[in-house]
Amino acid sequence: MNLIRCFWLSALVLLAWTLAPNSPPAARAAGQEAPAEQGAPPSRAAKAPPDLEDGKQQFAQNCSTCHGVDAGGQEGPDLHGVPASLGDAAVQGIIRRGIPGTAMPSFSTVTDKQAADIVAYLRTLSGTGASEKTIGDPQKGEALYNSSGCSTCHMIDGQGGSIGPDLSRIGASRGPTNLKERLQDPGANLPQVGGGIFGGSLTQYLMFRAVEKNGQTVEGMRVGEDSFTIVLRDAGGKFHGLWKPDLRSLEKEPGKSFMPSFKDTLSDAQMDDVVAYLMTLKSAQ
Amino acid sequence: MKTFLYALVFLVLLLPAAARSLAQDVTYQQLLHADETPQNWLMYGGDYSSQRFSRLTQINRENVHNLKPVWIYQPDRPLRPVETSPIVVNGIMYVTEPLSTVIALDARLGTQIWSWSAKLPERIYTIGVHRSNRGVAILGNTLYMETLDAHLVALDAITGAVKWNVHVDDNNQGYAMTGAPRVLDGKVIIGVSGGDVGIRGFLDAYDAKTGQRLWRLWTIPAPGEPGSETWGKDMAGTGGAATWGTGSYDPELNTLYWTTGNPAPDYNGHNREGDNLYTDSILAIDPDTGKMKWYFQYTPHDTHDWDSIQVPVLFDATIDGKPRKLLAQANRNAFYYVLDRVTGQFITGVPFVKETWAKGLDAKGHPIVLPDIEPTPKGRLVYPDGHGGTNWNSPSYSPQTKLFYVSARETGAYTVAGEPKVDFPSFGGGGRINLPADQVYGAIRALEATTGKMKWEYRMLAPAEASTLATAGGLVFAGSNEGNFFALDAETGKLLWEFTAGGSDSESNLITYSVDGKQYVIGASGNCFVAFALP
Repeated sequence: MNLIRCFWLSALVLLAWTLAPNSPPAARAAGQEAPAEQGAPPSRAAKAPPDLEDGKQQFAQNCSTCHGVDAGGQEGPDLHGVPASLGDAAVQGIIRRGIPGTAMPSFSTVTDKQAADIVAYLRTLSGTGASEKTIGDPQKGEALYNSSGCSTCHMIDGQGGSIGPDLSRIGASRGPTNLKERLQDPGANLPQVGGGIFGGSLTQYLMFRAVEKNGQTVEGMRVGEDSFTIVLRDAGGKFHGLWKPDLRSLEKEPGKSFMPSFKDTLSDAQMDDVVAYLMTLKSAQ
Repeated sequence: MKTFLYALVFLVLLLPAAARSLAQDVTYQQLLHADETPQNWLMYGGDYSSQRFSRLTQINRENVHNLKPVWIYQPDRPLRPVETSPIVVNGIMYVTEPLSTVIALDARLGTQIWSWSAKLPERIYTIGVHRSNRGVAILGNTLYMETLDAHLVALDAITGAVKWNVHVDDNNQGYAMTGAPRVLDGKVIIGVSGGDVGIRGFLDAYDAKTGQRLWRLWTIPAPGEPGSETWGKDMAGTGGAATWGTGSYDPELNTLYWTTGNPAPDYNGHNREGDNLYTDSILAIDPDTGKMKWYFQYTPHDTHDWDSIQVPVLFDATIDGKPRKLLAQANRNAFYYVLDRVTGQFITGVPFVKETWAKGLDAKGHPIVLPDIEPTPKGRLVYPDGHGGTNWNSPSYSPQTKLFYVSARETGAYTVAGEPKVDFPSFGGGGRINLPADQVYGAIRALEATTGKMKWEYRMLAPAEASTLATAGGLVFAGSNEGNFFALDAETGKLLWEFTAGGSDSESNLITYSVDGKQYVIGASGNCFVAFALP
């Protein structure tokens, strides 16, 4: 598993998202109604609601061998967010008919209803907090975002710094609870990107401290790693490519982050406002 | 004059043809002594013992730091993963690519000579099966190749023309083929994949000349046969025990050693109470009759997907003052086993990676299984994970150091039991959730071959699926999951050379060979085959 693969997976998901038909980008954001459902005839609304328990069961029996029981990907790809990207109907079609020329078979033994249940179950896994309510005031939040120095490190629609992640679509990929936790304790529960063929998910933004043979210390966020090399990005945004066999030591720094905690500088309500603002950010320019 | 001309034309036509047909002709005698012609790499595992040890010494611990890439070969239609084990015959290399393509290359230049692809149906069932191919075998001037849709094909080694093509079994029942065949005297032995979707496993022998099937050994007994009582209900007919690894062979004992995969469905054994013979086992077989001489089951009643298809390595050593014929296997279940390959008697077995499912092995080699290791609906953390302490990638053994070199995977997984479903292609009983990548790692480990005691390790970032290659130059070559190739000192494990090829999963089995006196090492990473040599 390496970061390059994660990048390609993200690129694939993004590509699928870009190619999803008949719907403006905002409506295709994860957690929202799927485009296929929006265009559905009214009679479909009367259909039985999806049975999540059945979806979970069907997923375990039909899909988990390749996609992992958590749908995080093993031999087959990570499925988190796929219904949101492709639309429910498309994913149901893939389950029923397969993707010829790939390892994805057609599951003729799975009924349309069961396929719908599987897709509904997948939607519950995406962790985008679609069901969570945003309680703050986004306008106040935007003002706080600007006055608290967030843009020194973060970019929104091309404006801002590049130390931390780009937030232009953060509202589509994270939920309010998750975002509030980031503000309070940025180094805790760092996000994991999944989907490696044989590995589990990889921690993003993990900090490392490397001591070179000459005693020089480099501290930074991991941006690339293999068995012999690691590339760290320091607080100034500078990249340090290091050859591991030459290092005196290389330590992970779990819990650490370049981002300060806003626990003591913002009130609880103010943090909710910032979160409300971030949740409005769903589409890049 | 006319006669002379005719004779000349005849000679011109005949001589090159004769020279060519001889050029790629590999006799069984040559295969028996494959280790004595290290310029060639004649078969999967290097020779019948599968030691994957080369006598070549041009590249050695003194000069390996100078090793440079000399050519790269990239498939036309890159489809990962490339898992092939190339063979090299008189300067010509045969590699396979996904899905079922074989390529002949000039082994010195990397230039493609011919390519042959199986005509595959649009839909091929490969659930739980890598859509890949692990290489060809050669006998005479014929190559033998397995195809993903379960055919065995014989190809002319000079031109790639098809000599015969037999349908081994039905892909619509889950049978697929990805392995490298094992060729014996006039016979081609092949195994099958599909153990995760409820096939009944078998091993087949075919006549190398005609493609006629000589025997089939079922790896799951029929009702009423010995071993059928180990299957509860009537699950034996769909119990798995695939045979997708490539076996080893002892010509003196005339015994073929072949391994078997997991029972199905995975992760839930409620429908198959008992040991589930002959899953997760090694079978000793008389290749003339296809009858089993003995078997040894590594993981009875497996519920963690620990196929035992790791390569059985044959070696001889003295134990307690007695010379013994031995068989070693580093198993996916985390234990390293040494057996007497004459009788199947268990000699020793120790964990070579962290494991949490057995207290150890008893005097007969049966695991002393701990309570509370079965998968649960919520998931239970068990070491190693489903890909195991090591996987299909070949280990190696050096008769110089008496060490066994294995790519070790230090990782566990939450194993989750679901309701078993046994209706192909829906066939499963649960699955697993891997640990985060930052909590796991891999290593190349050198084990004392007779005891399994670790002598050294070299750490890698990810739990790799990589092969090792040992050479008389005092080296062990290996790859990482991140696309690094490297060489270690075979005695000490010290890093001597590294090359970053990029891509990922240096999964193909590394081999070495020489052409015109120059030694090469080749492996594949991502889609690229990279050949290395000294400047």
